[in-house]
Amino acid sequence: MHEQLGKKWLCLDLPVWEYTEARKLQAQLVSRIKDGSIDTNVVLMLEHPPVFTVGRRGGSKNLTVSEGVLRKAGIPVIHVERGGDITFHGPGQLIVYPIIDLRAVNMSVTDYVEGLEEVMIRIAGQWGIKACRNPANRGIWVANNKLGSVGIAIRHGITFHGLALNVNLSLEPFGWINPCGLKDVGATSMERELSRKVRMNRVREGVKYHFKAVFGVDLIMTRLSELTVSQKV
Amino acid sequence: MKEIDELNMPDDVRYSDDHEWARLKADKVLVGLDDYAQDQLGDIVFVELPQEGDSFKKGEVFATVESVKAVCECYLPVGGKIVAANTALEEAPEMVNNSPYGDGWMVEVNPTDLSDMDTLMTNVDCVERLKGAA
Repeated sequence: MHEQLGKKWLCLDLPVWEYTEARKLQAQLVSRIKDGSIDTNVVLMLEHPPVFTVGRRGGSKNLTVSEGVLRKAGIPVIHVERGGDITFHGPGQLIVYPIIDLRAVNMSVTDYVEGLEEVMIRIAGQWGIKACRNPANRGIWVANNKLGSVGIAIRHGITFHGLALNVNLSLEPFGWINPCGLKDVGATSMERELSRKVRMNRVREGVKYHFKAVFGVDLIMTRLSELTVSQKV
Repeated sequence: MKEIDELNMPDDVRYSDDHEWARLKADKVLVGLDDYAQDQLGDIVFVELPQEGDSFKKGEVFATVESVKAVCECYLPVGGKIVAANTALEEAPEMVNNSPYGDGWMVEVNPTDLSDMDTLMTNVDCVERLKGAA
């Protein structure tokens, strides 16, 4: 079982997916990996409709506009269990939520978080963008601007939440917050760095390729219906 | 991560499946994270503790610890009422890493049922379980 956990992980390519629905799906997958009804790790790839989320230690203090302004814009603010402070998600930002039994694959949390950053650094590099880590904050950066974020939660040794990579989304909502609770930093996207269109489906394929290489696993593409119907995969 | 043989797993505490430890102290139980848990998490930067007087069932989330943008749930290994929380961890969360069985203790519990202790693993069982999973 553990050998399989280390070698072949399932991957679901989902379309734009409501934040709360994706959160429920993650919680279900964590429970099913814990109770053994799914005996492999699962990687979700998706995009969210516009939403601000605030991590465990974050607060609305890092909103630079009132919650009323956000309501008027129709963007909800959701408090969640992941690490990190406030961030924005929206269409054009690639979300990867790996549901990984870290103990079964014998991986430390630090190695896992660095692995997620490495995937983003490599995909940026593939498009000719030189992104780096920043000792001030996790995630990946181009100069003082954040290109990709990491925030995870761990339940019974199993990770959920994950990474968010700015591909071709509108960056305007980042101007309404101090991203990650930091002042004097901004957000950027692959499209802004390159000053040309970047196709999300190509980035998705690239992320799968680099994810496999960084974590040393194979990703087996599956459908949500197969995952929810079959008790053993 | 440390090799299993390098882990400090003392025999004066009992261990849960999720790597919390429990130490009997008179009729109270002291609780913290074991060496495996702190080592796997890496540098802990924040500990969120319950209030004195809060009650939890065995296995319920009583605290969270945060390292490198990762928030990890902690489960109470014996049910009962929190009679003390180690608030020194709010200023010095790294004590969970540096002294997991000493200054890094998290809460003291007045147990509802002391026999919960019997459901926990000895250090020998815990190490065997880790070897089985490795």
